[in-house]
Amino acid sequence: MNLDFLLYLAINTLVVIAVSPLFVSLIKKIKARTQGRQGPTVFQTYYTLIKLLKKEVIYSPNSSRIMRVTPLVTMAAILVAALFVPLVFVPEPVGGIGNIILFLYLLALARFFMALAGLDAGSSFGGMGSSREMSISSIIEPTTIIVFAALAFVFKTLNIFDMFTLNASTGSPSPSTLILIGISLFIIIIVETSRIPVDNPETHLELTMIHEGMILEQSGRNLALMELSAAVKMTVLMALLINLIVPFGLMTTLTLAGLLIAIVVFVVKGSILAGIIGLFESSMAKKRFFQLPSLFAMAFFFSTLIIIIAVFS
Amino acid sequence: MIDQATIEGIIRILFVCIIITAAYIISTRNLLTVVSVYSLQSLTLVGIALALWSLDGSIVLLEIAVITLISKVIIIPYFIATIQEKIRIKRDIEFHYLSPTTSLIISMALMLAIYLAFTRIMKDSPNATGGLIFFGAVLGISLMLMGMMVTFSRKRTITKVLGFLSMENGVLLFGMFVTELPFIIEFLIVIDLIILVILTTILSVGIDSTLEDYHKRLHRFHLLEEEES
Repeated sequence: MNLDFLLYLAINTLVVIAVSPLFVSLIKKIKARTQGRQGPTVFQTYYTLIKLLKKEVIYSPNSSRIMRVTPLVTMAAILVAALFVPLVFVPEPVGGIGNIILFLYLLALARFFMALAGLDAGSSFGGMGSSREMSISSIIEPTTIIVFAALAFVFKTLNIFDMFTLNASTGSPSPSTLILIGISLFIIIIVETSRIPVDNPETHLELTMIHEGMILEQSGRNLALMELSAAVKMTVLMALLINLIVPFGLMTTLTLAGLLIAIVVFVVKGSILAGIIGLFESSMAKKRFFQLPSLFAMAFFFSTLIIIIAVFS
Repeated sequence: MIDQATIEGIIRILFVCIIITAAYIISTRNLLTVVSVYSLQSLTLVGIALALWSLDGSIVLLEIAVITLISKVIIIPYFIATIQEKIRIKRDIEFHYLSPTTSLIISMALMLAIYLAFTRIMKDSPNATGGLIFFGAVLGISLMLMGMMVTFSRKRTITKVLGFLSMENGVLLFGMFVTELPFIIEFLIVIDLIILVILTTILSVGIDSTLEDYHKRLHRFHLLEEEES
């Protein structure tokens, strides 16, 4: 492990934590604007997180150790997963860091613990949220795996770092393949981060909530950790899409000036993507639960197409 | 003049647009968007025809582009949109045998089968796998079969017509890349005429029904006329 990689660990973690609340608020702002409201400022999520960190944690008397451990496990799993997707700077990969399969399993670990915590407090909302989350994830998981398999087929590597390096230097795949991958990844972002056709992140209405239902019993700094981990997860998936489709600005050798430019470029690209997500959400209504597979089938279809073309030609 | 590689790149991107629109037509339940997506698909075909024309300069391709633009991008979608406004149906949620998800998965299998078949057929020809002609042919046939699937899996007459139109787009795509062009134009016009006839009969009798209902209504309509005369 060299110095570059150690620096990468620090830079990537800091950038992802600093930037992710901004994207969350940006999406909220865009949605508010399309509904004709003023909306909260773009720094609102930061204020909320700071406020929550100062508050007291209250556990339900029925809850067990799982409830206490979950926020930490979730945050840790998501932060390690965040190391797998370089945001601004791509070093040489070390060990298993950057492996796609491990990345997927880390996301699954976080989700598993979140669902357990939903059940743990014994409230009926949490149980409902967990059961919905698990049914959705059992449908979306094959699709996610196929999308990532398509990535692996196109770039001929299982390592995200290698993909980004290839993409930034010479061997970027044809734009037609990139469009298909982009659409599939976009659908994955929407589903994985519980956005509107699947789940409504703004409501606490019992009929619709999935992700919110599971974290309903969390409070204080635990809630802050859960919220932050959701934001970081979204940013990581967004970064994956951004750095694959528009690798412009991604650094491969570390310099201070380059780092600043790369961070600014990433924030700009991320804000544009956040805007697109916000507009997409505003233009749609929440889908009925049993209609969701048709959304996933789209991503499944495109990724399989990529694999077919990659395998047979 | 733009060089050949750029144009081929553009055509590949347009291929992707066609796949996306086809998948959308198969899976969506909102009729209003189906019409606009169909019109977008036709526009993509116009783009492909223009790109091919700039590659080999054959005037027939330009003619095809113009005909497609006028008939399938402007007139037919306008026609169908007007009907929709009259009958006030916005959704098509009834399916015969296949749900949208199943149709998507089946169409994937179809594309794979066609891909393999064409690899066999075009094994000895100079422009084998990976060439533009190859992909054009595969996509054309797939689009045709996907349109057919829409035609038989939907219940509303208006979606059936749209499936048929999208099938015809597939024929046109296949024709542009593979077969002799003048024949295909004739074929095209004939099909367009049929569509026009279908549309007008439907327009006169009422389209806000399933096909079974429509027969009854047609029957009643004639009876009514006889009584009057």
